[in-house]
Amino acid sequence: MAKPPPITNRIRELREQHGGMSQSALAEAIGVTRQTVIAIELGKYSPSLESAFRIARVFDLGIEDVFGWQA
Amino acid sequence: MSAFTAFRNTPFREKTAWVMALILVAGAVFYFYMVVSVTRALGQTAPPLIGFAIVYVVVIVIASVVLMTVLAVTSPRESNAPADEREQIIGNKAGKWSGYVMVVPALGGLWHYAVSGDGHMLFHLVFLSLMLGQIAEYVFQIILYRRGM
Repeated sequence: MAKPPPITNRIRELREQHGGMSQSALAEAIGVTRQTVIAIELGKYSPSLESAFRIARVFDLGIEDVFGWQA
Repeated sequence: MSAFTAFRNTPFREKTAWVMALILVAGAVFYFYMVVSVTRALGQTAPPLIGFAIVYVVVIVIASVVLMTVLAVTSPRESNAPADEREQIIGNKAGKWSGYVMVVPALGGLWHYAVSGDGHMLFHLVFLSLMLGQIAEYVFQIILYRRGM
Protein backbone atom coordinates (compact mmCIF):
# COMPACT_ATOMS: atom_id res chain seq x y z
CA MET A 1 0.00 0.00 0.00
CA ALA A 2 1.35 3.41 -0.95
CA LYS A 3 2.02 5.83 1.89
CA PRO A 4 -0.97 8.20 1.95
CA PRO A 5 -0.17 11.85 1.27
CA PRO A 6 -0.25 14.10 4.37
CA ILE A 7 -3.25 15.99 3.00
CA THR A 8 -6.56 15.44 4.74
CA ASN A 9 -9.96 16.45 3.43
CA ARG A 10 -13.59 16.77 4.50
CA ILE A 11 -15.10 16.03 1.11
CA ARG A 12 -17.29 13.12 2.20
CA GLU A 13 -18.64 15.12 5.14
CA LEU A 14 -19.27 18.17 2.93
CA ARG A 15 -21.06 16.08 0.30
CA GLU A 16 -23.38 14.78 2.99
CA GLN A 17 -24.01 18.31 4.25
CA HIS A 18 -24.90 19.38 0.71
CA GLY A 19 -27.96 17.22 0.38
CA GLY A 20 -26.08 13.98 0.02
CA MET A 21 -24.34 15.08 -3.16
CA SER A 22 -23.11 12.02 -5.00
CA GLN A 23 -19.50 11.37 -5.90
CA SER A 24 -20.54 11.37 -9.57
CA ALA A 25 -22.16 14.80 -9.24
CA LEU A 26 -19.07 16.23 -7.58
CA ALA A 27 -16.85 14.59 -10.20
CA GLU A 28 -18.89 16.14 -12.99
CA ALA A 29 -18.83 19.55 -11.29
CA ILE A 30 -15.04 19.64 -11.10
CA GLY A 31 -14.28 17.79 -14.35
CA VAL A 32 -12.74 14.53 -13.14
CA THR A 33 -13.92 10.93 -13.00
CA ARG A 34 -15.84 9.45 -10.09
CA GLN A 35 -12.85 7.18 -9.41
CA THR A 36 -10.68 10.24 -8.92
CA VAL A 37 -13.14 11.70 -6.39
CA ILE A 38 -13.10 8.35 -4.58
CA ALA A 39 -9.28 8.34 -4.59
CA ILE A 40 -9.20 11.90 -3.20
CA GLU A 41 -11.71 11.09 -0.44
CA LEU A 42 -9.73 8.01 0.55
CA GLY A 43 -6.49 9.99 0.65
CA LYS A 44 -5.00 7.92 -2.18
CA TYR A 45 -4.54 10.92 -4.43
CA SER A 46 -3.82 14.57 -3.77
CA PRO A 47 -5.71 16.72 -6.27
CA SER A 48 -4.07 19.47 -8.28
CA LEU A 49 -4.36 22.98 -6.90
CA GLU A 50 -6.91 23.77 -9.62
CA SER A 51 -9.11 20.80 -8.69
CA ALA A 52 -8.78 21.62 -4.99
CA PHE A 53 -10.06 25.15 -5.70
CA ARG A 54 -12.87 23.77 -7.85
CA ILE A 55 -13.93 21.41 -5.05
CA ALA A 56 -13.88 24.24 -2.50
CA ARG A 57 -15.99 26.42 -4.80
CA VAL A 58 -18.58 23.67 -5.24
CA PHE A 59 -19.10 23.77 -1.47
CA ASP A 60 -18.80 27.57 -1.37
CA LEU A 61 -15.89 27.36 1.03
CA GLY A 62 -12.25 28.36 1.15
CA ILE A 63 -9.66 25.76 0.22
CA GLU A 64 -8.43 25.44 3.81
CA ASP A 65 -11.96 24.64 4.97
CA VAL A 66 -11.90 21.57 2.74
CA PHE A 67 -8.27 20.45 2.86
CA GLY A 68 -5.84 20.21 5.75
CA TRP A 69 -2.21 19.31 6.30
CA GLN A 70 -1.46 16.44 8.65
CA ALA A 71 2.09 17.07 9.91
CA MET B 1 -18.78 -11.17 -5.86
CA SER B 2 -17.94 -13.17 -8.97
CA ALA B 3 -14.91 -12.32 -11.09
CA PHE B 4 -17.26 -11.26 -13.90
CA THR B 5 -19.16 -8.85 -11.65
CA ALA B 6 -15.91 -7.48 -10.25
CA PHE B 7 -14.61 -6.91 -13.79
CA ARG B 8 -17.86 -5.25 -14.86
CA ASN B 9 -17.58 -2.81 -11.92
CA THR B 10 -13.96 -1.99 -12.64
CA PRO B 11 -13.39 1.59 -13.91
CA PHE B 12 -13.07 1.80 -17.72
CA ARG B 13 -9.39 2.75 -17.94
CA GLU B 14 -8.32 0.07 -15.49
CA LYS B 15 -10.40 -2.42 -17.45
CA THR B 16 -8.64 -1.49 -20.70
CA ALA B 17 -5.27 -1.85 -18.96
CA TRP B 18 -6.24 -5.37 -17.82
CA VAL B 19 -7.38 -6.33 -21.31
CA MET B 20 -4.26 -4.98 -23.01
CA ALA B 21 -1.94 -6.59 -20.43
CA LEU B 22 -3.62 -9.98 -20.91
CA ILE B 23 -3.54 -9.72 -24.72
CA LEU B 24 0.14 -8.78 -24.68
CA VAL B 25 1.07 -11.54 -22.22
CA ALA B 26 -0.75 -14.11 -24.36
CA GLY B 27 1.03 -12.80 -27.47
CA ALA B 28 4.45 -12.86 -25.78
CA VAL B 29 3.90 -16.42 -24.52
CA PHE B 30 2.90 -17.51 -28.05
CA TYR B 31 5.91 -15.85 -29.67
CA PHE B 32 8.49 -17.14 -27.19
CA TYR B 33 7.00 -20.61 -27.18
CA MET B 34 7.70 -20.64 -30.93
CA VAL B 35 11.25 -19.31 -30.40
CA VAL B 36 12.04 -21.96 -27.78
CA SER B 37 10.52 -24.71 -29.95
CA VAL B 38 12.57 -23.72 -32.99
CA THR B 39 15.71 -23.32 -30.86
CA ARG B 40 15.28 -26.85 -29.48
CA ALA B 41 14.64 -28.29 -32.93
CA LEU B 42 17.72 -26.61 -34.43
CA GLY B 43 20.00 -27.15 -31.44
CA GLN B 44 21.03 -23.47 -31.61
CA THR B 45 19.42 -20.07 -31.11
CA ALA B 46 16.48 -19.70 -33.50
CA PRO B 47 16.99 -17.11 -36.24
CA PRO B 48 14.65 -14.09 -36.16
CA LEU B 49 11.13 -15.43 -36.75
CA ILE B 50 9.93 -12.55 -38.87
CA GLY B 51 6.79 -14.42 -39.91
CA PHE B 52 5.78 -15.10 -36.30
CA ALA B 53 6.68 -11.52 -35.34
CA ILE B 54 4.32 -10.23 -38.04
CA VAL B 55 1.59 -12.66 -36.92
CA TYR B 56 2.19 -11.51 -33.33
CA VAL B 57 1.74 -7.84 -34.25
CA VAL B 58 -1.33 -8.46 -36.45
CA VAL B 59 -3.05 -10.67 -33.83
CA ILE B 60 -2.31 -8.14 -31.06
CA VAL B 61 -3.70 -5.26 -33.13
CA ILE B 62 -6.86 -7.14 -34.16
CA ALA B 63 -7.52 -8.50 -30.65
CA SER B 64 -6.99 -5.12 -29.03
CA VAL B 65 -9.23 -3.30 -31.55
CA VAL B 66 -12.02 -5.87 -31.10
CA LEU B 67 -11.84 -5.93 -27.30
CA MET B 68 -11.48 -2.15 -26.98
CA THR B 69 -14.52 -1.73 -29.20
CA VAL B 70 -16.51 -4.11 -26.99
CA LEU B 71 -15.42 -2.19 -23.86
CA ALA B 72 -16.22 1.17 -25.49
CA VAL B 73 -19.69 -0.02 -26.52
CA THR B 74 -20.43 -1.22 -22.99
CA SER B 75 -19.16 2.05 -21.42
CA PRO B 76 -19.68 4.75 -24.08
CA ARG B 77 -19.59 7.71 -21.69
CA GLU B 78 -16.35 6.73 -19.96
CA SER B 79 -14.67 5.72 -23.21
CA ASN B 80 -15.36 9.12 -24.80
CA ALA B 81 -14.23 11.15 -21.80
CA PRO B 82 -10.65 12.43 -21.92
CA ALA B 83 -8.26 11.21 -19.21
CA ASP B 84 -8.51 13.40 -16.12
CA GLU B 85 -5.54 14.72 -14.13
CA ARG B 86 -5.10 11.55 -12.03
CA GLU B 87 -5.36 9.27 -15.05
CA GLN B 88 -2.81 11.36 -16.93
CA ILE B 89 -0.36 11.16 -14.02
CA ILE B 90 -0.88 7.38 -13.82
CA GLY B 91 -0.23 7.08 -17.57
CA ASN B 92 2.93 9.17 -17.31
CA LYS B 93 4.30 7.30 -14.30
CA ALA B 94 3.56 3.89 -15.82
CA GLY B 95 5.20 4.95 -19.10
CA LYS B 96 8.31 6.16 -17.28
CA TRP B 97 8.68 3.04 -15.12
CA SER B 98 8.06 0.70 -18.06
CA GLY B 99 11.01 2.36 -19.80
CA TYR B 100 13.26 1.05 -17.04
CA VAL B 101 11.84 -2.45 -17.48
CA MET B 102 12.45 -2.28 -21.22
CA VAL B 103 16.11 -1.41 -20.76
CA VAL B 104 17.01 -4.59 -18.80
CA PRO B 105 16.61 -7.27 -21.52
CA ALA B 106 17.90 -4.87 -24.18
CA LEU B 107 21.13 -4.31 -22.21
CA GLY B 108 21.30 -8.05 -21.51
CA GLY B 109 21.06 -8.68 -25.26
CA LEU B 110 23.83 -6.19 -26.01
CA TRP B 111 26.07 -7.70 -23.35
CA HIS B 112 25.37 -11.23 -24.62
CA TYR B 113 26.13 -10.12 -28.19
CA ALA B 114 29.40 -8.49 -27.11
CA VAL B 115 30.47 -11.70 -25.37
CA SER B 116 29.20 -14.36 -27.78
CA GLY B 117 28.46 -12.58 -31.05
CA ASP B 118 25.03 -14.27 -31.14
CA GLY B 119 23.01 -11.84 -33.22
CA HIS B 120 19.95 -14.08 -33.18
CA MET B 121 19.77 -13.90 -29.39
CA LEU B 122 20.23 -10.13 -29.60
CA PHE B 123 17.18 -9.94 -31.90
CA HIS B 124 15.05 -12.04 -29.53
CA LEU B 125 16.11 -10.09 -26.45
CA VAL B 126 15.40 -6.74 -28.12
CA PHE B 127 11.99 -8.05 -29.20
CA LEU B 128 11.44 -9.31 -25.65
CA SER B 129 12.36 -5.90 -24.24
CA LEU B 130 9.72 -4.26 -26.45
CA MET B 131 7.08 -6.76 -25.31
CA LEU B 132 8.03 -6.48 -21.63
CA GLY B 133 8.02 -2.69 -21.84
CA GLN B 134 4.45 -2.67 -23.13
CA ILE B 135 3.26 -5.30 -20.65
CA ALA B 136 4.95 -3.47 -17.77
CA GLU B 137 3.27 -0.20 -18.73
CA TYR B 138 -0.20 -1.73 -18.38
CA VAL B 139 0.76 -3.64 -15.21
CA PHE B 140 2.04 -0.42 -13.59
CA GLN B 141 -1.18 1.35 -14.61
CA ILE B 142 -3.24 -1.37 -12.91
CA ILE B 143 -1.10 -1.16 -9.77
CA LEU B 144 -1.40 2.64 -9.61
CA TYR B 145 -5.17 2.56 -10.23
CA ARG B 146 -5.69 -0.01 -7.47
CA ARG B 147 -3.08 1.05 -4.93
CA GLY B 148 -3.20 4.81 -5.39
CA MET B 149 -0.26 7.14 -5.83
